[in-house]
Amino acid sequence: MRRRGTLKTGLLPGGNVALEKIGLTEEDVRDEIMSEEQDLVKELVTMSTRECIQAIRDLPMCMEDKKNIRNQVLASKSSKKGFLLTCSADCSEQISLSLRRCGVGLSSARQAVRLWQGTMKEIGGRFGTSVLSYFSFLKWLLMFNTISFLVNFGFITIPQLVQTSGRSPDVRFTGLELITGAGYFNQTVMYYGGYINGTKDSDFKYNMQLAYFFTIAAYLVLCGVSLIYSMARSFRRNFVLSDLSSGSAWRLLCSWDFSMVNERAVRQRKNNLRVQLKESLSEMMQTNFLPVSERMKQLGIHLCTWVVSAGLAAGSCAAIYYLCQYNLQQIKVSQNPGNLKEEASTLLLPFVVSLFNLVIPLLYSLLSKVENYSNPRFQIYVIILRNVFLKMSILSILCFHWVNNVTTNVPMCWESYVGQDLYRLVIVNFFFSIFGSFFGEFLRRIIGTRCMPSIGIPEFDIATNVLDLIYAQTLTWIGIYFSPLLPLIQMIKLFLLFYLKKVSLNRNCQPPRRSGRAAQMQTIYIALLFFPSFVGALSLVAYTVWCLTPSDSCGPFQGLNTTFEAVSLWMEDTAIISEFSWAVWIYSHMIKSELFFFLLALIFLVLIYFFWQITQGRKMLIILLKEQIINEGKDKAFLLEKLRTFQNLSLVPYHAENVHGPQYFERTYQTESDYSEGYQRGACPEEDTPPFASSALMQAMMARRQAEEEDEEY
Amino acid sequence: MGTSASQLPKDLLSEYQSNPFKERICLVFSTSDNKDGSLTFEDFLDLLSAFSDSATSDIKSHYAFRIFDFDDDGTLDRKDLERLVNCLTGDTDETRLTSDEMKQLINNILEESDIDKDGTVNLSEFQHVISRSPDFVSSFKIVL
Repeated sequence: MRRRGTLKTGLLPGGNVALEKIGLTEEDVRDEIMSEEQDLVKELVTMSTRECIQAIRDLPMCMEDKKNIRNQVLASKSSKKGFLLTCSADCSEQISLSLRRCGVGLSSARQAVRLWQGTMKEIGGRFGTSVLSYFSFLKWLLMFNTISFLVNFGFITIPQLVQTSGRSPDVRFTGLELITGAGYFNQTVMYYGGYINGTKDSDFKYNMQLAYFFTIAAYLVLCGVSLIYSMARSFRRNFVLSDLSSGSAWRLLCSWDFSMVNERAVRQRKNNLRVQLKESLSEMMQTNFLPVSERMKQLGIHLCTWVVSAGLAAGSCAAIYYLCQYNLQQIKVSQNPGNLKEEASTLLLPFVVSLFNLVIPLLYSLLSKVENYSNPRFQIYVIILRNVFLKMSILSILCFHWVNNVTTNVPMCWESYVGQDLYRLVIVNFFFSIFGSFFGEFLRRIIGTRCMPSIGIPEFDIATNVLDLIYAQTLTWIGIYFSPLLPLIQMIKLFLLFYLKKVSLNRNCQPPRRSGRAAQMQTIYIALLFFPSFVGALSLVAYTVWCLTPSDSCGPFQGLNTTFEAVSLWMEDTAIISEFSWAVWIYSHMIKSELFFFLLALIFLVLIYFFWQITQGRKMLIILLKEQIINEGKDKAFLLEKLRTFQNLSLVPYHAENVHGPQYFERTYQTESDYSEGYQRGACPEEDTPPFASSALMQAMMARRQAEEEDEEY
Repeated sequence: MGTSASQLPKDLLSEYQSNPFKERICLVFSTSDNKDGSLTFEDFLDLLSAFSDSATSDIKSHYAFRIFDFDDDGTLDRKDLERLVNCLTGDTDETRLTSDEMKQLINNILEESDIDKDGTVNLSEFQHVISRSPDFVSSFKIVL
């Protein structure tokens, strides 16, 4: 199907003048095109209406030709049906037509109401696709949080509100709660402590324990599945199918952004592309033969910088751990809880964490300037790796502190305490994002334009911002168990962040200089969101649910040994009812037994090995097919050479008629055989390259026409 | 602006675009008989459809090939590639690549994409190279 539409343009691009040169008349070419069209119409008639319409849409022809083909197909179809057009067939045609129109209308309406559609087009037009990828990532995370909030609100919060309508908290609302999350919020449905399992008293039959557990579990499973799906699809599209080796020349040429309309941006882009092309050329020509002492020195520098960055990360983790211990001690010795000064002092920990997250990556980028990486892409990977390592180690220290120390040392609801910690971390992180934007972009622009013009206008730092988003999302995912309404805060935060970043981008930043591999970086960000962000959050929540004792004085799981016990108790209750014995059987033999998971893991390992072998086989097949194509090219050149010699022998009586033909032909074949030996020769006859040098079809048709004329002669 | 039968001449359109390929785009999408690059309304629709989000990678690579084929012979030979690079990096004397760099670059390009080693890139080879650059589909777009 793909080849059909190209034939016409392949044959008639140069117009009549070029055709006359080669001795073919327009008639011959048009006959060929007509027969191709007939074949195409025959193929289209066999398809169903919807496939047919889609196939016609996908043809790379101009609209008139497409209409032509569609009319031919319709005529052919109706002539086939002939007189069998009964009333019912007519009706069904009408219905399917109106349904299709409805579907098209719905999809275009859906396009119109998409969130931020216009803004993102603007950003993509001015700054390119890599900056746009940050904003689409933000929108995607917003969707995750919206679903989480709706699910939690619907299944957990609303029943709780209905149940406790009438009671009101004892503490007054002061403005500080919005930042510290404690005080008034402590006794509302914001945190775990605000939920009670009410099945014991009154006739309220909603089992809050099961609802709480299953809602969160279902949401996390859904998240995991959608992340794995996006990651795999993105990986297949951007890593497997694309060429990871050299391939930089075509990639740079094909990365020209057609949607740029700003004259200055276009000029700048051309300059950047030229610089990048020159750099990539010099990279390829550079030899890698450095002396041994140089390489040792490079290795030493790399090792030093890695040790320094690991040391920085470890140092910040230790500082945060001691601060956490100090906070716990303060709670133990505190005289009156609810003191304003004490509540404000709880903000110290999030402040220090966010400060480390802001300052240490700057130190990392300074360090990377000292190192000398040959490959700029590798440099970006190293920076991202170090930042992720820093953020995840800080988070793991905090989780360790919560799981080990907080559960035993906090007098009240420890889950609400952890929820409040997370709330404060999210809020302070938001403020630091604003500050980072202010200092990193606004002030740098002022400095770059007024004080030190050599620095220039800053670019939008995509990597730092995306890692910031991933960090905040990790906090939210951890916090779902301890504070079911935390996704609402994250939603509001992302919403505001979009507009803030957009304004800052438009006023302060310039389009990126290097056309980076936006698609591959997108895959890496999704992969980072899955592991370690989602997997870490999931494992923490799973550990909490499976192993930790819920607090005795608050929450829906009071009195149980572990949270998961709620499910076991429920299963024991259900075992009495005989209709659900299959569910009980599944629970006891599949979920509780280790043998089942062991067998499952074994089966997956075997499948992975099997698919890996298939991949290896396909790689070899690709190599063989490439060799086959080269050989067929050589065969084609050989056969054309033979055709030329044959025609030279038989063309003498026709010399008078086709003055241009054979001479032109000879030149064609001469350069053809030159090309078949390789294009690297210096004396390549570029000046007399004929336009149809590689159009084998032309020569074959010419040969056929001459053979026909020969037949007529004799 | 005119009826659906009116024609948009090439120079009127080029005022609205700072695209380096503006002339080639007009020529490729024009179906007028005198090959002056003027577009009817239907041609304009074709143009927007090919550059839209919902066009398949096949259609985009087909039209990109025709746009890059400066001499309209159905293949991208060395001259086409040279003109392409000059279009993208600037055509004045200061901004052009040196002839050595150009030769090296075009050799690299042909090495990557010329599978049957005939010295030119035909449509299938071009589409194969494009399918391996995932950024192409997102950058071959014109938004109004």
